Amino acid sequence: MKNYFSLSGSLLLIMLFVGCHAEPDRLPILGNIEVRGTDTLYHLIPDITLIDQDSQVLKIASLDNKVVLVDFFFTSCPSICPKVKKQMLRLYDRYEHDDRVMMISHTIDQRHDSVTVLNRYAHNLGVNTDKWKFVTGEKDSIYFLADQYFVSVVEDPTAPAGFDHSGRIILMDPHRKVRGYCEGTDPESVTAFFETVDQLLKEEYK
Amino acid sequence: MVVSCTSQPYSQGHAIYTAHCEGCHMEDGSGLADLIPPLDSSRLTLSDPSKLVCLIRKGLPFNTFTGQQMPSNTSMTDVELANLINFLGVEYGLNPQTIKVTEIKKMLAACQSE
Ligand code: HEC
Repeated sequence: MKNYFSLSGSLLLIMLFVGCHAEPDRLPILGNIEVRGTDTLYHLIPDITLIDQDSQVLKIASLDNKVVLVDFFFTSCPSICPKVKKQMLRLYDRYEHDDRVMMISHTIDQRHDSVTVLNRYAHNLGVNTDKWKFVTGEKDSIYFLADQYFVSVVEDPTAPAGFDHSGRIILMDPHRKVRGYCEGTDPESVTAFFETVDQLLKEEYK
Repeated sequence: MVVSCTSQPYSQGHAIYTAHCEGCHMEDGSGLADLIPPLDSSRLTLSDPSKLVCLIRKGLPFNTFTGQQMPSNTSMTDVELANLINFLGVEYGLNPQTIKVTEIKKMLAACQSE
């Protein structure tokens, strides 16, 4: 009897311990971390110049004080993009009236997805483009940017419509650091992601 | 819209839907805003099985208002088409009748001659 109690006691302790660890105070900063002397250098999203659906220049560093949700797609994508967009729409609905949140969808098909095509796409998606930008840019810069966001994008003639890419939705903080992501093809992953976004908002705007 | 998991007898049709349609029309057939239409039984043409067969086989021309296109499905067999259409009938109320493979053959012949 005595043994039984002490065993369950230590189990309880272990569970409490695990419980504490499952709830970190701050979201992690993703990517390589380099320590140089007294400085710690984090992975930063480069300040690349993009062009939005209204032909306006968008500099990533000019997204003043915003938490940004990011994805990569192309308008004629027959495979995963519509599903990811459906989930981006859920995020849009949730944060539509929260000015701290912005959204950026990058086309990986610069040849076909002109500014006009992006504009038409945004219009048919029915979203406010002050909040949700649809951008293009130099092909090399966009592919580099995808890589920096930890999204894999490759031109692949055997893939549906010639591109192979992941449907990740990325969360970037106002300091251009990547703080989380979810799988945009999986609604449950996105539901869990709501909490990640909320947590970042709490951290950034105290 | 009828969403029934337990009473759906067309598991093969469901698998075909998942492979060829779900990416655009979504798991629940809800589509995507104005870009991709929902699979909605209120559209008259959809309750006509012969039109549905031709639509799935041939797709639709590029839609210049949305920039989207319903693709053709040229390699789908007659059996697969029948399974898919019967699945759509039960799941989304598109075409309430049950279609046989022999009927699919006739319908396909008719839409090619249009
Ligand atoms: C690449 C995306 C895509 C895929 C994959 C796709 N569709 Fe479509 N579908 C569309 C688009 C876009 C339209 C609307 C076309 C238009 O209005 O010009 C459409 C229209 C339809 C319509 C007519 C809807 C209406 O109410 O008029 C039906 C029915 C349909 N699709 C069924 C299917 C079926 C069944 C499959 C699988 C075999 C499928 N679609 C696969 C994009 C797709």
